[in-house]
Amino acid sequence: MNKVQPLRVEVRGAQKNYGALAALDHFDLTIEPGTFTVLLGPSGSGKSTLIRSIAGIERLDSGTISFGENLISGPGLHLPPEKRDLAMVFQDYALWPHMSAYENVEYALRRRKVSAAEVSARVNEALERVGLAGKGSNYPFQLSGGEQQRVALARAIVARPSLLLFDEPLSNLDADLRERLRVEIATLTREIGATALYITHDQSEAFALADTIGVLKSGQLQQLDTPENIYQKPANRFVAAFTGISGSFKAVVKESDGNLATVQAGEQLIECRVGAELKVGANVEVLLRPSATSIRSGQSQEKNVHSGQVLDLAYRGRGYEHVIECDLGVISSVFAAEPAKRGDKVEIYIDPQSTLAFNDQ
Amino acid sequence: MALDTQIPIRNQVPSFLHSASNKLRRVRVTPMSVFWTLILFILIIPITLFLSVAFSPRLFDQGKQWFTLSSFKPVFTGSYGLALLHSLILGVVAAVGASAIALTMAWLVLRTDTPARKIWNGTIFALFLAPSYLIALGWQRLFEQRGVLEIMGLHVTPIRNLLYGPVGICLVLMVKGIPFAYLVIANAMRGLGEEFEQAARVHGGSRVAAFKIMATLLLPSIFSALAIVFAEAISDFGVASTLSNVAHFSVATYQLYQGINAIPVQFPVSAATSLTLLTLVILAILAQNRALRGRSFRTLSGRTRPASVTKFSLLGKSLTSGWIIAVLVITLGIPIFGAISASLLQGLGSLLSHYSINFSNYSRVLGSRFLRRPLIYSTEMSLITATLAVGLAAIASKVLTAAKPSRSKRFMDFFLLAAVALPGIVFAIGYIFTYNLKFINDLGLHVYGTSFLLALAYTANALPSTSRSLVGNMSQIQDSMMDASRVHGSGPARAWLDVTMPIIARPLLIAWLLTFSGTLLELPVSELLYPPGSPPVAVGIELSLAGFDFGGGTAIEVLSILWALTVVAIAFFLFNRFAPAGWKRLGNQR
Repeated sequence: MNKVQPLRVEVRGAQKNYGALAALDHFDLTIEPGTFTVLLGPSGSGKSTLIRSIAGIERLDSGTISFGENLISGPGLHLPPEKRDLAMVFQDYALWPHMSAYENVEYALRRRKVSAAEVSARVNEALERVGLAGKGSNYPFQLSGGEQQRVALARAIVARPSLLLFDEPLSNLDADLRERLRVEIATLTREIGATALYITHDQSEAFALADTIGVLKSGQLQQLDTPENIYQKPANRFVAAFTGISGSFKAVVKESDGNLATVQAGEQLIECRVGAELKVGANVEVLLRPSATSIRSGQSQEKNVHSGQVLDLAYRGRGYEHVIECDLGVISSVFAAEPAKRGDKVEIYIDPQSTLAFNDQ
Repeated sequence: MALDTQIPIRNQVPSFLHSASNKLRRVRVTPMSVFWTLILFILIIPITLFLSVAFSPRLFDQGKQWFTLSSFKPVFTGSYGLALLHSLILGVVAAVGASAIALTMAWLVLRTDTPARKIWNGTIFALFLAPSYLIALGWQRLFEQRGVLEIMGLHVTPIRNLLYGPVGICLVLMVKGIPFAYLVIANAMRGLGEEFEQAARVHGGSRVAAFKIMATLLLPSIFSALAIVFAEAISDFGVASTLSNVAHFSVATYQLYQGINAIPVQFPVSAATSLTLLTLVILAILAQNRALRGRSFRTLSGRTRPASVTKFSLLGKSLTSGWIIAVLVITLGIPIFGAISASLLQGLGSLLSHYSINFSNYSRVLGSRFLRRPLIYSTEMSLITATLAVGLAAIASKVLTAAKPSRSKRFMDFFLLAAVALPGIVFAIGYIFTYNLKFINDLGLHVYGTSFLLALAYTANALPSTSRSLVGNMSQIQDSMMDASRVHGSGPARAWLDVTMPIIARPLLIAWLLTFSGTLLELPVSELLYPPGSPPVAVGIELSLAGFDFGGGTAIEVLSILWALTVVAIAFFLFNRFAPAGWKRLGNQR
C-alpha cells in the first residue's frame, strides 16, 4: 500500500463537561506525525471523549484541536467529521448491517474522486489485506466477531487517511483473536504510514502497540512518554498503579539518595526505588511491579527477603505465579519455575529495581 | 361536519403569543425547528387550548370566569354522568374479557401444538386493522330487523335484543381489544423461556407452583393489556356511533359528539368531559404501575431458552382448535360475513319483499361518482397523511431514542404519551375549537373546513402511535453506525439516508401501511372535520346507511377494505422486488 502524508495532531486546553462532570479538563496533547499513540486510562478518564472530539463526533466546550497547521476545532469553529479526512475503528465495529462487507469498505471511498475500477481494486486489496478475500459479499451477520472487526479495519484503511482513530477496537474479542488483530492493526497502520491514535484501558495492549503512551485520569493527561519510560519512570502513583503492579504496602522512609531508598514496614527494612522525591520520615506507599518478586528456596539471608504463605497459584506455561500472604500484605504474580503448594511457607525476594515508592496521599 | 361559525374571542391575540412570535422571528430555520413548529401547530396548540377552556372559559370568550371548575359539574350528573358511568363499566368488562381471551390465545398459539394456531397468526393483524365501527356494522347487518339473517328466514330477535344493548356493545369492544391485549401478552410470553419453569420444578415446586411463577412473571403484561384495552374501550367512537347509537345506550364519546352538535356548543363542558376521559385513561396506566409497585420482571436475555411446547392428544387438539376457530368466527368471521352478504343483497334496507343476490351494489358504487368519491378522497388523504405522519414519526422517534437526555426529549415523551391517551373524538373537537378561534384566523390561518386541516388532524391523530411503533426499531440503531458514516465522509442528511433509512426501511413501510389503512377507514376525525361536500370513506358509509342504502354502504365498506389490502400487497410486492438486498435482510436474518 502507498504511504500517506501523516498528520500532526495538537490538542490545547480542551474542556468538555457533561453536567457537573469534566470529561476533559484543560487537556493538552501533541501527537507527532506518523506515530502510533495509545491513550490508556480507566473508564471515565476522558479517553473516549477525546478521541470522539478529535473525530468531530463530540464538540469541545472550549480549547482547540489542530491538524497540522489547520485549526479544526476552536472557538466558534467545529469542522464536521466528514470534512476531517480521517477514519475510525469503533469498539462495537459499527458496521452497517444492510451493506455487505464489500459495500461497508467501499463506503469510505465514496467521498474520494476515485474511478470505479480503482474503487474495486482498493476494496478488494483492503479485504485481502485483512484476510477476508472472498468474503466481500457476506453481510455482517454472516461474519464472526473477529471478521466483523477486520471489515471495520479494512474500511478504516481503504481510503488511506492521514489520521487513524481506534476506539477500544479489541475489547469485545476473545484473548486469542485480540492478540492476532492487535498485530494486524500494528502492522497495517505502520504500513500506510498514517498517524494513529488508539484508546484502551488494557495496559498490555497499550505497551504492545504504542510508540507513545499517554495515561489519562479524570480528564487530565498524567504522563505522555515512551512505553519504557512509562513503565520504568512513571510520573506518579496513578501511572505506576495503572500500568501494572502485583502488590503494595505502606512504609516510612528511613534513608533516601534520590534514586534508592530504605523504608521501614513494620519491623522490616526494605530497599526500593524512589518514584518521586521523598523526604526522610515521610509516609510512603511502595508499589511492586509483577517482575519485582520471586520465590527463594530455603532460608535466605539476603536483604529484601520476606517469609510468607502460599494462598493460591496458577500455571503460566513458563512457570507458576503464586499469590502469597506475607507481613507486607498479599502479593500476587510471585514467579517461580517450580510450583509451591497451597499453604506452604516460602521466602519471597523483592527486587528493589522493580519497586517504586511514592508519597502516601 | 364543519361548523359554519367562528368562535368569538375578546382578546384579539394573547400577549404571550405576541412575545412567542417575536422570539420565533429570531429562531434559525433548521429541519428541527420546522419539525417542532409542525408539532406545535398540529399537536400541542389544539390540545392545550381546547383542554384549558375547561378551567378558564373566559380565556377564549366561552364564559365569564377566568378560573372555574363548574364545567366539570355536568360531566358527573345527568346524561353526561350516566354516559360516563356506562363507559367505565363497559371499559372494565371489555378489558377483563379481552385480556382473558388474549391470554388463552397466547398460550395456545405459543406454547401448544394445537393445529389452528397457524390460522390465528395469519389473522391477528386483520383484526388489529379492522375499525370497531366496521365490526359493529357487520354484526348489525346480520341481526337487524329485515337484516341478512331475517331475509334468510332465521328468527334472531332474542340475539338482536342482546346485541342492541350493553352486551353487544361490550362484545364488539372486547373483540376490538383482543388484538391489543394479545400482542402485549404474547410478546411477554415469547420472552419467558422454560428455564423459569424448570428452576421451579428442580427446586421442588409442583406443576401448580411452576404455573404460579409463570403467571407472576406474566403479570406486567396482563396489567398492561388490561390498561390498554380499558383505554381503547372508553375512547372508542366507532361502536358509540353505531351500535350504541341505535341501541340508545349512551357512552361518553357519543355524548361528546352530541354535545358538539348541540346549539349553542358547550365547549367548556366538552373540554371537561374530554379531560375526564383523558384522566381515566391516565388513571388506568397509573393503576397498572401501582399494581406492579414498580416491579419489573425482566425475563428476556441472551440466555433465554425457547419454551417447551405442550403436546395435546387428538381430543385436546380438536377442543383447542375449536376454541380458536370459534373466537375467529366471532371476531372476524361474523363481521366479514355480515358485510359481504349485505353488500351482495340487492334492496337491503328497503321495504321490498324480494331480494336478490348479485353485484349490483358494487357496480352502483363503482359507477356512481357520488358513491365512489369518498374512497378516492380518503385514498388521497391517506397517502398524504401516511407520508407526513411517518416522516414526522421517524424524527420524533429519533428524538425519543437519543442517548443523551434533553429537554426536547422529555417534552416530546410527555406530549406523545398524553396524545396516545387522547381519544380521537377529543382530538377532532380540539381542532374544531382551536381552528375556529378568531385570533387563529387573525393570524392568517384560515384552514377550518379544508382538506388541509383534515390532513393535519389525521396526521396529528396518527403521529403518537406511529412514533411509538418506530421507537423500538430506532432504539436498536447504535449511534456508532451514524458516527461511522460521518467519520467516513457523509454529512448528516447523507448519513441518515445511507444508514438509518435502510435499517428501518421495513418498519417504516409497515408504519406507513398501518397509518394508510387506519386513515382510510378512520371515523371520529373524519366525521367532525371533513370539508363540506367531500366526505371520507367512513362518512360516506355512514351517509349511505343513514339513507337506508345498506347494500351501497356495505359495498363501499368491502371495497375500502379490499383497496387497503391491495395497497398493502402492492407495497410489499414493490419492497420485496425493488428494495436492495441488504434492506430486506434486516429483521429477517438467519
